[in-house]
Amino acid sequence: MALSDIARHRSYLDRRFDRIRALEEAGQLKTPSGSRVVRKFMNNRLAVIGLVVFTIILLASIFAPLLTPWDPTKINLRAISQPPSWEHWFGTDKTGRDVFSRVLYGGRVSILVGLGSALISAAIGVIIGCYAGYVGGWLDAIMMRISEAIMAFPEIILVLMLVSILGQSLVNIMAIFILGGWCGIYRLVRARMLSLREEEYVQALRSFGLNRALISFKHMLPNALGPVMVNITLSTAAFILQEAGLSFLGLGVPLAIPTWGNILNVAQDLNVLQNSWWLWLPVGTVISLFVLSVNFIGDGLRDATDPTQQG
Amino acid sequence: MLTYIVRRLLIIVPMAIGISFLVYLALDLSPGDAVSRMLSPERTVDPAKLAELRKALGLDAPLLVRFWIWFSGVLQGNFGRTLTGGVPISRILMERLPATLELSVIALVLSSIFGAILGTISALRRRGTTTDNVLTVAGMIGVSIPEFFFGLVAIVVFALNLQWLPVGGRLLPSYTSYWDHIPNLVMPALVLSIMMTAGVMRYARSAMLDALSREFIKTARSKGLPEWRVNLLHGFRVALTPVIVLIGFRLPILIGGSVIVEQVFQWPGLGSLFVMAVRNKDLPVVMTIALLTVILVLVVSLIVDILTAIIDPRVRLGN
Repeated sequence: MALSDIARHRSYLDRRFDRIRALEEAGQLKTPSGSRVVRKFMNNRLAVIGLVVFTIILLASIFAPLLTPWDPTKINLRAISQPPSWEHWFGTDKTGRDVFSRVLYGGRVSILVGLGSALISAAIGVIIGCYAGYVGGWLDAIMMRISEAIMAFPEIILVLMLVSILGQSLVNIMAIFILGGWCGIYRLVRARMLSLREEEYVQALRSFGLNRALISFKHMLPNALGPVMVNITLSTAAFILQEAGLSFLGLGVPLAIPTWGNILNVAQDLNVLQNSWWLWLPVGTVISLFVLSVNFIGDGLRDATDPTQQG
Repeated sequence: MLTYIVRRLLIIVPMAIGISFLVYLALDLSPGDAVSRMLSPERTVDPAKLAELRKALGLDAPLLVRFWIWFSGVLQGNFGRTLTGGVPISRILMERLPATLELSVIALVLSSIFGAILGTISALRRRGTTTDNVLTVAGMIGVSIPEFFFGLVAIVVFALNLQWLPVGGRLLPSYTSYWDHIPNLVMPALVLSIMMTAGVMRYARSAMLDALSREFIKTARSKGLPEWRVNLLHGFRVALTPVIVLIGFRLPILIGGSVIVEQVFQWPGLGSLFVMAVRNKDLPVVMTIALLTVILVLVVSLIVDILTAIIDPRVRLGN
C-alpha cells in the first residue's frame, strides 16, 4: 500500500482532528473556559437530560400555586373520582381532591424529605468523617462501631423499626432517614481522609504548624467532595424511593399531608388499580422520572469528578 | 485461614450482642411489660399481687440481668409473645419463614444470573456501543422505578387485564400440590429481582471492564487463546470475586425489597408480618424480626468474607 493510499483512507477521527487543526491555525479555536467538571458534565447527554427533568419537576413543585388553581387538601364532594379532563388534568380522587395539584404540592414534601435528609445527613457525615478520619483515635473508633451497627440493618427494616418506636410525622421520618443515612458518607469521607493523610502536601501543612481542623476541613476536604456530591444525589434518590414506599404502606408521612407516596396509598385497593388509573399511574411515573433524573445527574457527576476518567 | 475466620468472628459476635442489647433497650423502654401484657386491661388486679408476679418472673432484676434472661431465651429460640393475641413469636416466624425464603432465594438466584450475564455482555461490547448504552440506561431505569410501582403495573397488566396470573396470595385452599402455587410466585419473584438485577449488572460490568484491562488478558491473547476462552476463563473468573461480594452485600436490599413486594402481592411472609406488626405497634414482633435480619446479614457477610478469602489469597494475606 502506497503512502498516498493510507493518506486517502482517513478515519472519522482523523477528519475531526483535521478540522480542529484548521480552526486552530485560523486562530478561531476557543480555549476551553469554565471548570473542567462543569464542561465534562455538560457533555454527558443523559446527565443534561436528567438535570432538565429534575429542574422542571422541582420548579413545578415550588411554583405549584401558579400552575394550578386547586387546593390539594380541599375536599369537593361534587367532583368525586372524575377521570382526567381539561378542568382536572389528572382527574380527582375519592373525595374530589384534584390529583394534579396533589402531585405538585406532594412533590414539595417528597423533594424536601429526599433532598433535605440527604443534605443534612451528608453534612453530618462530612463533619464527623473529616475530623474523625484525620484525627483518628477514640472518636473515630466509636463512630466506626456505631456506623457498622446501623449499616448492619437493611434500610427499610431500620426505618420501619424506628417508625414503630417514634411514631409517624414529617420530622420523625426525616430524622430517621438522617440517622440511617449519615454512615455511608461518613465512611466514604473517612476512607478518603485516611489516604489523603499520607500525602506530602498534608505533611507539609502539618510541618507548618497548621491546626488539625484547618488542615482537614480547608485543605483535605475539597479533595473528597466529588464522591460526596455523587453520594448526595444517590441518597436523595434512595430517600425519595423510601418515602414513597413507606407512605404507600401508610407508615410514612401522615396521610393528611400530600406526598407522592401518600397519593399512591390508594392504589392498595384493587378496584382503584383497575378502574381509576389516573389516581396512581401519573404519580408513579412522576416519582420514577424524578428518581431517574437524579440518578442520571449522579452518574454524570461521577464521570465528571472522577480523576481516573479525565479526558 | 483459621486466624482470619477467628478475627472476623471477634468483630461480628460483639456487634451482634451490642445490637441485641440496643434492641432489648428499645423493648424495655416501651410502655408495658410482660405482666401487663398477660392480663386484659379491663380487669383490675391487686397491685401487690402484680408486684409478686413481676418478682417471680424476674422483672424487678437490674437491666443487665433482665437482658441476660431475655438474651438466653433468644438464643434458645424463645422470643416472647406477640402483643396482639399473645401467640409465641417463634411459632408465627416458623409459619412465615418458608414463604419469605422461597421468594428471596428465587429472586437472589434470578438476579445474580441475569445481572452477571447482562453485565458481562455490556462490558464485552465495549464502552459506547448501542448494546452497552441500552443496557446501562435499562439498568438505571431498573433502580429508579419504585418496586411497588413495578408491582402495581404488573398486577394491572398480567392479573387484572390479561388474567394470566393470580393477583396475589400464596397457598390457596384449593391447591393440592406444591406446584399449584407457581403462578402466584411468578410476579413477586420477578418484581423483587428487577432492582437487584440492575445493581448486579452495573457492578459486574465495571468488574469485568477492570479485569479485561489487566496485563494477564494481554498475555492470554498473545498466547493465541480463542477470544471466548480469554473472556470467560481469564476475565470473567477474576471479575467474579467482586460480584460475589456485591451479591452478599445486596442481601439487605433484597430483604428490604421483600418487605414492600410481599405487601403488594399479599405474600404471607416475614415482610408482610413485619409491616402488620409496625401498623399494630406490636414492638416485640418488630424487634424480633429486626434482630433476626441483622444477625442474618452479619452471618452472610461473614460467609462472603470467607468465600472471598478462599477465592482471592490477597484478602487473607493482607490486612
